[in-house]
Formats: sequence, structure tokens, C-alpha cells
Amino acid sequence: MRFHLQQRTWVAVFAGILLSASACQNQTSTIANTTSSNTTSAASTSQFSDRQIVSDFADQVVIPTNQLFAQKAAQLSKAIDTFVRNPNEQTLAAARNAWRDARSPWEQSESFTFGPADSLGYDAALDSWPVNETDLTAVLQSNDPLTVETIQKRQDTEKGFHAIEFLLFGTENNKQISDFNQRELEYLQALGQDFSRVANELVASWTTGVEGQPAYREVLATAGESSNSNYPTLPSGAAEITQGMIDSLDEVANEKIGEPLAQKDTKLLESRFSFHTLEDLKSNVKGAENVYLGRFSDANTNGKGISNFIAQVNPDLDARIKSQFQSSMTALEKIPAPLETAMANPQAVPQIQAAQTAIDSLQQTMRQEVLPLVQN
Amino acid sequence: MNSSVHIHRKQLKFLVIFAVAIAAGIALSIFWGQDWSLPRSPMSGGATTVINRTSRGFEQPAPNLSEAELQDHLEGDRAFEAVFVTPPAPVNSGLGPLFNNASCAGCHIRDGRGMPVKGQMLVRVSLPPGYPIPQEDQEVIFESHPEASVTLGNAPPVPGIGTQIQDQAVYGYQPEAEVEISWQKSFDNYADGTTYELRSPVAQITLPNGQPLPPEVLTSLRIPTPIFGRGLLEAIADQTILALADPEDTNKDGISGRPNMVWDTTAQKVVLGRFGHKANIPDLLQQSASAYVNDMGVTNPLFPEKDDSSDIDDRTLKTATFYTQTLAVPARTMIDDPIVKQGEKLFNQANCAACHVAQLRTANYEIPALAHQTIYPYSDLLLHDMGSELADRRPDFAATGTEWRTPPLWGLGLTQTVLPYSGYLHDGRARTLAEAILWHGGEAAQSKEIFIKMSQSDRDALIRFLNSL
Repeated sequence: MRFHLQQRTWVAVFAGILLSASACQNQTSTIANTTSSNTTSAASTSQFSDRQIVSDFADQVVIPTNQLFAQKAAQLSKAIDTFVRNPNEQTLAAARNAWRDARSPWEQSESFTFGPADSLGYDAALDSWPVNETDLTAVLQSNDPLTVETIQKRQDTEKGFHAIEFLLFGTENNKQISDFNQRELEYLQALGQDFSRVANELVASWTTGVEGQPAYREVLATAGESSNSNYPTLPSGAAEITQGMIDSLDEVANEKIGEPLAQKDTKLLESRFSFHTLEDLKSNVKGAENVYLGRFSDANTNGKGISNFIAQVNPDLDARIKSQFQSSMTALEKIPAPLETAMANPQAVPQIQAAQTAIDSLQQTMRQEVLPLVQN
Repeated sequence: MNSSVHIHRKQLKFLVIFAVAIAAGIALSIFWGQDWSLPRSPMSGGATTVINRTSRGFEQPAPNLSEAELQDHLEGDRAFEAVFVTPPAPVNSGLGPLFNNASCAGCHIRDGRGMPVKGQMLVRVSLPPGYPIPQEDQEVIFESHPEASVTLGNAPPVPGIGTQIQDQAVYGYQPEAEVEISWQKSFDNYADGTTYELRSPVAQITLPNGQPLPPEVLTSLRIPTPIFGRGLLEAIADQTILALADPEDTNKDGISGRPNMVWDTTAQKVVLGRFGHKANIPDLLQQSASAYVNDMGVTNPLFPEKDDSSDIDDRTLKTATFYTQTLAVPARTMIDDPIVKQGEKLFNQANCAACHVAQLRTANYEIPALAHQTIYPYSDLLLHDMGSELADRRPDFAATGTEWRTPPLWGLGLTQTVLPYSGYLHDGRARTLAEAILWHGGEAAQSKEIFIKMSQSDRDALIRFLNSL
């Protein structure tokens, strides 16, 4: 009896070990199999394989947007020069308009700030936030030389869009001609020149290559080729495009609108010196839509976008996204401008919240439904 | 009736033993799996893995966080992105007076590494161990250079600098030194005759008085490291890491593996180090707090002002830390690609996996989503002698001047997607993964030799495998 039981025990132990060991192995290979079978079944129906969508993104969206931005940056620098040479109401208004005009393509590029813009510091040099008001003021009050060379050595938070905005508009969009002193004019002029130089570098990094590196457009145009380690598969290229839209829309909804609204603090609004934040947000959404459709509407370029792929695999989803872009923009347009004062107005808060909800829900659709489709 | 009850009991007994054995079998097969089988899972970070092979691949929250944890993570994300400015300021006040960069994300770009350029590259300095420091200098050093307070005494701080060069300053202050990097090139051949070029940085460091750094000062150049998956590394039990150590190389495989033992500011004792290029930081809270105060000049509850006030509060420090703990690890890509599989085999054959240990297991952890996960960091978190070519000759706690911590390789293939043109190794000298391998020496010299003798197609396969991580 005793012996009999022991025998049973050993049988159970061995059977158990064998079973569980093989179950474990199966488990591991199941994960791998699921992944590969997903890929295989997707390949026959809907796997993303349209190289043109990825290269059009670079050639029809990113590059033309950056090129228009560089043009507007040069015009801003010129308008500042004119204002500095002859400061009056008219030249000041022209310089401020030039700043707003440069802001539009730049904010439309928020869906694709990856690549050289980060590595080579262009994004930081052009659009750091907040402004280091303490240091900027100290520099202005000093006798330090103010040239493009000395400006370049200053921190990013003392140059770029928002430093120019700070000097051109004042802290409450209320600066008068009489408020400008000579040092401010000199600083502005140097900032404008540096700004335009960086904008040109940004374009060059995508079109011809800088610092001995190849043009970054090539990295996207060759997505899926075995020599391309940045985007070794076409789905990873499509995911890059989609992820950029998601992040920009998420940032608009939950940081640029969400944070100041939750904290009830207009100092957190991005372009608060010029009361231009609402326009920035519209440009952000417009830029994401450009990416989705594969175009840059301000320069009338037209290519294939992620929309073309989605329309093929899930036409309803494509229609839904297009309508969500529409309703996001409509919701933003319903907010009484400027956002800097609207946020303090209880009657405008529901409209701000509605815009936030619309954009957040668009972002969710992209994240939950588009991303899985393009990257499988 | 009686006999059927008897049978039921027997069956029950059988089943219980059977169940226990299944559990034992699972435990055993996991144990076996660690040593024998090639890891074939794309889920590099266990349940914290996310499928994302884009420039945002390092910036995703772990998908298995609770809703409340996700909110903390997102709050920490904003803290990590916050660009500090000189006080007084309405937003993000607290920068400086001395600093290297104005934000966490300014160095760890998109939560990946940074470039070997001003503001991102860091130079650690110290005097040779035992070097006498005049009494009057000591007080000044510890008062104005908080990094010098974290010490075991074998890296004496440099008067006027401390143990880290802050090469930027807010208006009205003088940076501690100016650092200029130039690149020195060298050439060599693979066994098949193909030539390769390597480069290494030469730092020219100039003090405010225009003089170079005194020759006795030891310097170590370092680029910022990727920050995703760090919570998982923190969740590995000390004994798991220590079990991988073989300080005396008792198994005679030429590879030792030593733990760094470092000063824990919170516990006020010597503990295992696991973060940083030399594993000189014990945990992520201290990592974050020291980065705030030393890299940005932002005082915080762990490193406060003299009057115990600080630029950021406890919540900000903790959420920023929580953010670095709870970032997802990107899933591997192309795991069924035959060349990737071939490359993985070569990786193991060349004994790379002796230090770049593929699979580890996390233990109990304060964040449940990260506990008890099977992960694939490709690191043992131990120090290894990497040879004289890579040596910085600067000791860092128990780490010698030739030792470096095995860097995790997960997410490696996304390095240039996240930050194009960035480099590998502690100072970013390697522009490609092949260059990174070719710099390996010391304990890794044999593995490098195997790589040099490989055919072009085998080298490509090995690199493709690394890019699939």
C-alpha cells in the first residue's frame, strides 16, 4: 500500500512536471505565434505597405511646411529690421503681423517635430517656453554687446519665438512704441536674424542634409528597406506619422488647453504675451489634418496620406476621423478670442471645454483605432 | 459505495500531488529557461511592454498602470518636460545659478539619450584618491557643490568645481569651466580586410581664468542615458544582481562582473548601485533628486537650500521620479526575420550574453504593475573591465577607472529613430553599433575578436539582431 502510493506520487510528479514544462514552452511560443500570425493574416488583407504615403509625408507635408516657415521667418527678421530702423505704429504692427504669420506654419509643424529638429537643437532654439524673463531683463540692463554671435550663446529660453514675442508685444499684449528702448531694439534685431538662420538650417536638414548628414527626407523615403535601421519596416514609418498627430493633438487637448484650464492660470498659455494662443491651437489641429490627408494646404501641395490607407481598410473610420477634424476646428472657432481673456470668462469656459473634449476624442480615435491599423 | 469513495480519495490525493508538481514544474522550467532557451518573446518589458517603433517609442506610459497611476505618470511627464528659468519667475522658477541644462527632457531627449554636445554631455571630475585638499577649500566645496557631498572618499572633489562641471550659468554667474570637444580618429581592419574608422572625444577644458584644468584632475565624459524601463531595473532584487557577479572569475571565463557599492543619501549607508554609466546611483529617487540639483541647479527636498526650502516640492520630485519608473519598454520588432534569428545566435556564440544577460525577473516592488515580470534588458547591471581604450581612469565608488556598467540593450534599435545622429557608449563616441562593438576591450576583448573575424554577412546579421531589440 505504502509502496503503491509512492509509485502514484512519482507518476503524478513526473506527469505534472512534463505537462507544465511543455505548457510553459507552448505559452512562450504562443506569444510569438500570435504576433507572427497577426502579421501574416494582416499581410493578406490590410498590412500597411504603401511607401508613397511615407515619402509623400516628407515631400508634400514636412518639407513644404518647413519651407513656408523659413520664408516667414526671413520676413519676420526683415520686418523687425524695418521696425528697428524706423520705430512707429505702422512698422510695429507689421513686425507683429510677421511674427503671427511665422507662427502659423510653425505651429502646423507640431505633428512632426521629430528627427533633426530635436537632435540638432532647432526646436529648442526656435520655440523654448517659458521665456527666461529674469535673465533677458538683466542682459538688456547690462552693457553686454548684443550681436547675433552673443545672442547665440544665450540660453534657448532667451531667444526664439517667445523671446521675440516678449519684446514685441510686452507681457500683456499692450506694449507701446514709447516703451521700447534702444537695447531692446538691438536685441530684437539680433534675435530675428538668429531665428531666420535656424529656420533655414531646419529646412536644409530635411532637404540637403547638414553637418555631414544625409537629408532626413531620405530616412522616410527609404522606410522598409533593409539598410534603413531607423524605420526598418513600412508600418514603422506609418506609425511615426500617426504617432506625431496623436502627440500633437494630445498636447493641444490635455496640456495647452487642459493645464491652464485646470489650474485656472492664463500664465500657462503658450502665446500669452501676444494673446495668440487660440490661433496656435487652430494651427496645431490644421497641421495634424494636413498630415492625415498628406498635404500642406497653405502651399497647395497634395500627396497621399494616412487617410488613403484608412479609407481602403476601414472607410467608416476614415469618414469619422475627417468629421472629427471638422468638429474639432468648429469647436475651436466657437471660443471667443483671445483665449487669454476667454479663460477668465465663466461664460466661455463651456466652449473651451467642448473644444478640449472634441480634440481629445479625435486623439483617442487616432490612438485606439488608427495606430493599431497602420503598425500591424 | 465504499469503494467509490475510496477511489475518489485516491484520485483527490493524486490530483493534489499532480497540482503541486505542476507548480514545481513551472518553477523548474522558468529556472531552466533562464539558462538554456533563447528568449523569443517580443515583450521586452513583460506586461509593461508597448508596441511602438517610432521616435516616441521611449515616451509611452506602461500600458498596465491603474488609472490613478497613469494620472501620476502624466503629471510626472509635465515635470520632466518643464524648462526651468532663473528666479524669480511666474512659471518654472528655480534654474541655477549653475547648471548643465534647463530641463530633464533637454538632456534625455524624447526619454532617450543625449548628444555629446554642450548642455547634454556631462564631465565628471575628481582628484586622484588620497589627494590632499586644503581645509579652507573643503568647506567651500561642500557648501556650493552638492554633488561632492555624495562620496565614499575615493573621488576627492576639485576646488572650484566639485565632482561635476556645470558649464552653464544664469546671468551674472560664471560657469565652472568651458568644455570643447574635438574628435580623434583612428583606423583598423576587420579580418576580411574591410577598413573601419573609429573616433574618440578629446575634451579641452578651460577654467574661468583662461587656464586649462590642472593635469592631476581626472575627467570622465558621459552622455545622458535612455530612461525607459528603469522602474523594472529598480524592481530587480539585489540578490538577483549579486548572484550574477563573479568578482574573482571563479568560472574562468575571463568575465568577472562586480557590483558597485555606493553611498545612499537617504539611508546613510553603503548599498548596491545600479543606475548611471558606472552604476553609481542606488535608486531612481536619488537619481532624479541629484539630477535636479546638480544638472539644473534646482533644489529639492532631498537636496534643499540652506534654510531647508527648495525650488520644487516633494510632489514634483516624486511624480518626476514616478514618470521615469513607469515608462513602457518598446516591444522588439522583426523577431521572426531569419537574419535577426541568425544574428541572435551569433550574439550568443560570441558570448555577448555573458554580460548582456538577456532575461531577468523583477521581484516585489512598490508599483505592482512592475513586480514579478520576466524582462529582457540584456544587462547584468554589473561593472566590467572594458579595457584601456574605453577607460576614463576615474574611480567612482567601487568602480575602477577601467570599469563600466553593462548598459541595457533593450530598445537599442530605436536609438537613432528617437535621436538621429546620436552615439553609443558612455561618451557617444560610437556612431554605429559596429563601432560600439569594436570599442569593446578588457573582459569583452574576446567577443570583439570574434566579431572582427566574422564575415560581412554575419556582422550584418548581428547588427540587425541588435536593431530588432
